[in-house]
Order: sequence, then structure tokens, then C-alpha cells
Amino acid sequence: MKYFIIALLLCASPVFANVNIVGNVEAKCVIQTTKAGVYGNPIASKLSTTPADGGVLPIVRYDVSIADAYTANITHPTAFSSSPTISDTVAWTGSTLVTQTSVAGMSAYNAAKTVVGNSTIFNLTLAGSTWFSTASSAIYGSAKPLPGGIYTAVVQASCIAK
Amino acid sequence: MTPAYPILKPSHVAGVVKAQMKLFNRRQDVKYYQIEVFDKDFVNIRFSSPYRIMKVEYQESKDFDVYIRKSDLIRAVYICTISKVIKSRTSQTLISSRICSKISDGVA
Repeated sequence: MKYFIIALLLCASPVFANVNIVGNVEAKCVIQTTKAGVYGNPIASKLSTTPADGGVLPIVRYDVSIADAYTANITHPTAFSSSPTISDTVAWTGSTLVTQTSVAGMSAYNAAKTVVGNSTIFNLTLAGSTWFSTASSAIYGSAKPLPGGIYTAVVQASCIAK
Repeated sequence: MTPAYPILKPSHVAGVVKAQMKLFNRRQDVKYYQIEVFDKDFVNIRFSSPYRIMKVEYQESKDFDVYIRKSDLIRAVYICTISKVIKSRTSQTLISSRICSKISDGVA
């Protein structure tokens, strides 16, 4: 009986099951902070993220999965989100640049960018990763020394579906 | 945030449609996201959602529904999530990220 069952098992035809692996590639935008910016204080009346002024440029990374589906809109600050009490006006300047890319063609983003007020708009025409750095500078009115304390300002990085 | 082009579907409430969205948090420095609905000029449009501000841990995702009145559909263009930044103790620039999906025309 035992040999009969073994023979039966050997003769049995194998059964295969098909397991499907399903993937979905869809338009997607991911924003990550590569580096938080820090304000340097090169002179008493100035705060700046520029390395030459002792600051650190904030860097954000955009990952897009599908070409030509999103625009990147990065806005440099025009006000402090928190600061000590300041009584005079602050002159703000800023700019945003592409600093690193995963695809060579993305280097053309800098030439094609549009600046509207304090916003810089990049058309993300290629799929992959792009790193943007934003310079921000604040000069206190009439070259007065800024009051001592902690100053923070917000860079807004938007990824908007076309 | 996905889908990039959400399709609105009828909801269980008459005169209200819903979009089913998913947010994945890839920012280690952020845990809270705010949901907003805007028109083409980024003017706020009224909406409802179980979460107005939701907590999403790093490398985790969360599904959420956004309910919009049919009467507002003609103006509603973007559904966005905006990261909430935490007050800092050093002089620095904080980065607020905003990702917007574009509402597809019509209701499924």
C-alpha cells in the first residue's frame, strides 16, 4: 500500500498557480528637505543664508515620476515667521536655483525659470530628482542693528499638478 | 500625494462629491499636514474632510476623503496638502511644502 501511494504521488501531475504582480506608475510629486537653511549674521543689520555671509542655503529635493506633469513653485520669504519685536522696515531679497539634478537635461530649468514677485516657477518637464536651493537675505531699515533673538522665516516649496 | 488628477465620485450626501486621496510622508522633519481646496487663483474653497490637519509619521501613508459641494465644483481646481512647520529655536529658514493635485473635470 505504501509503495502504491508513493507511485501515485510520483505520477501526479504538478499543479502551478499563477501569482500576478501588479504595478502602477502614476504621476506623483514628492518634496523632501535635504538641508534646512540657517541665517548668518555677517553685519549687525543683516541676516543671510548665503555661505559667504556665514549662512547655510536651504535645499529641497523634488522627485517627479512622470515628465511634464508638475510645476515647482518656490517662494522665498518676505517676512519673519517669528522674531523679536522690530520697529523698522526690513528689506528682503531672495532667489532660487537648481543646484543638482538626476538627469542632465534638467540643468536647462534655470534658464527656463519664471520669476513672479518672490516666487520662482520651474516647469518640471523631465522625470527624476531635482534639488533647489533658495537664498534669502533680510536687511534691517537704515542699517540699524537687528535686535538680539531668534529669527525664523518660511520658504514655501509647492509642487502643482498641471 | 496621489492621485495627481483625482476623479470626483458621488458621496453618500446629496449634492456633495468626494475625492479619495492618499498622502505619503517623505519628510522626516514634518508630522502634520493641512488639507486645502483652492480655485485656479489659489483662493480657498469650502470643503469637508475627516481631517483638516492630519498626523502622518515619516515614511507612512494615510488615506483621506475630501468632500466638495457640487455647486463649488465649477471653481474647485486644486486639492493640496501643506506641511505644518514647527517653531524653531535657532535663526533659520523653515521649509513649508505644498503638493497640489488637479481635479479632473466631471464626476465619475
